[in-house]
Amino acid sequence: MRQLAAIAANTFKETIRDRVLAVIVVFALVMIAGGLWLGAISLGEQGRMMKDFGLVAVTGFGLIVAVFIAASLVHKEVDKRTVFVLFSKPVSRAAFITGKFLGLCGTMAVVLAGMGLFLFALVWLLQGSPSFMVLAAVLMIYVQLLAIIAVTIFFSTLGSAILASVLGICVFVAGQLSHNVLALTRLGSNTVTEALSWVIYVLIPNLTAVDVKAGVVGEQTLAWGQISLWVVYLLAYVVVVLALATVIFRRKEF
Amino acid sequence: MLRRVVTVILVLACAGGVIAYQATRRGKAPANPRVFVPSPTFFLDFSPSFRTSIADAYYLYMIQYYGEHVSGDGRLDSLPAMTRLVTTLSPHFTRAYLFSAFGLIDAGRPDVAYEILQKGFKANPGEWRFPAYLAFFIYTFGEKGPVKNELAADWYQKAAAIPGSPSYLPRLAARLLVKTGEREKAILMWGQAYLAGDKYARKKSVNGIRSVLPEGREASLKVLAPLSDTMPEADFKALLADLFPEGKL
Repeated sequence: MRQLAAIAANTFKETIRDRVLAVIVVFALVMIAGGLWLGAISLGEQGRMMKDFGLVAVTGFGLIVAVFIAASLVHKEVDKRTVFVLFSKPVSRAAFITGKFLGLCGTMAVVLAGMGLFLFALVWLLQGSPSFMVLAAVLMIYVQLLAIIAVTIFFSTLGSAILASVLGICVFVAGQLSHNVLALTRLGSNTVTEALSWVIYVLIPNLTAVDVKAGVVGEQTLAWGQISLWVVYLLAYVVVVLALATVIFRRKEF
Repeated sequence: MLRRVVTVILVLACAGGVIAYQATRRGKAPANPRVFVPSPTFFLDFSPSFRTSIADAYYLYMIQYYGEHVSGDGRLDSLPAMTRLVTTLSPHFTRAYLFSAFGLIDAGRPDVAYEILQKGFKANPGEWRFPAYLAFFIYTFGEKGPVKNELAADWYQKAAAIPGSPSYLPRLAARLLVKTGEREKAILMWGQAYLAGDKYARKKSVNGIRSVLPEGREASLKVLAPLSDTMPEADFKALLADLFPEGKL
């Protein structure tokens, strides 16, 4: 447990020093410029536009940070040969993978909290009243990104960092189309393709089960029971993917 | 040293060329009023998590499209399709319906504006502006005749029945109901306006009711009787006192 905490803490320090917080500054500048621009062209819907596009930006920036850092986490240790020092000590492969994941979770929490709070303040300033739903939505985006981080770490144990980044982004996009794969399982009469579609449907994280952004802009009422279930599903998904990553990483010879 | 100078001059010349090329381009040609608008189903199928964001992006595009054409060729052929896209992806986006409806009035298409407002009201039954504007559009742009007033009065009544609607709506409904000969309904509407309104609205309501009351005490009371079921007793008595200040009743 102490080893896990140490690896997580070190990963957090290492990634936070990676000038990753600059993303928040870039996000803030983009949002301010976007807010001014939207105010001029949206006919009084500045608040709605700011919330909606702001959350898209949080997802986009968050995804880039998550995928690119997660993809390089394991490879950096191998390339710098620090992994030899680490595994010469009583550190399990599972603790290594989990620690790396938890460390990056901490970094992502800081990054998303920064962007989320800035967006919240900006919306408050524009609308004149606080919109706590924005913070709830950022939290949901964070949970989505945890699944993507886990998947990217899994891919990074299989191949190169670039490949892991690309595959991580692909899984995010596929997660947005999860319901289409489900529709495929119900089409046609070929049992093999139906079964294959179903397997893919289960393998891809379902990122569209809850549409938080629509709730934030008042398009639908959010069912908190459904959201909680979805969060539990994504966390369970993370556990499974990390377990698979550990199994593959255990087979690696250094 | 010479090489460096040549390099700087070359880069500056290239930069100048880039700027000169862009600066000498002609302005944008008048855009085609018929633009490609994707099907809402496409976006619903392929990006359900980003549907409101796509709706917002198209809403901004819709405003640009309107601005580009309204002062130019005056043709807004694709506005209905854009509205359909935006409102299907975001059915509770009230301003998109209203903006489009007024835009289509500018384009001389009140019929489509009417359809859009009806769609908006169907998706947002608690929003009084839809029936109120439907009534306004019918009254302003509908074909002359008694049906127009009846339809407009009907929509004003629906708008007035929505909680939070302004107190002038029942008065507008009442005025139109008088025109269509629906005296009893008009009195009920004025009663509603009397209840919800301020001093000015109450005075207007009293004058309105007075204008349709028949001659004689008995006849007037008979006409006013249904009102007593729709308002508290104290308010009904106050209304009677306002209607007949000298105790003529």
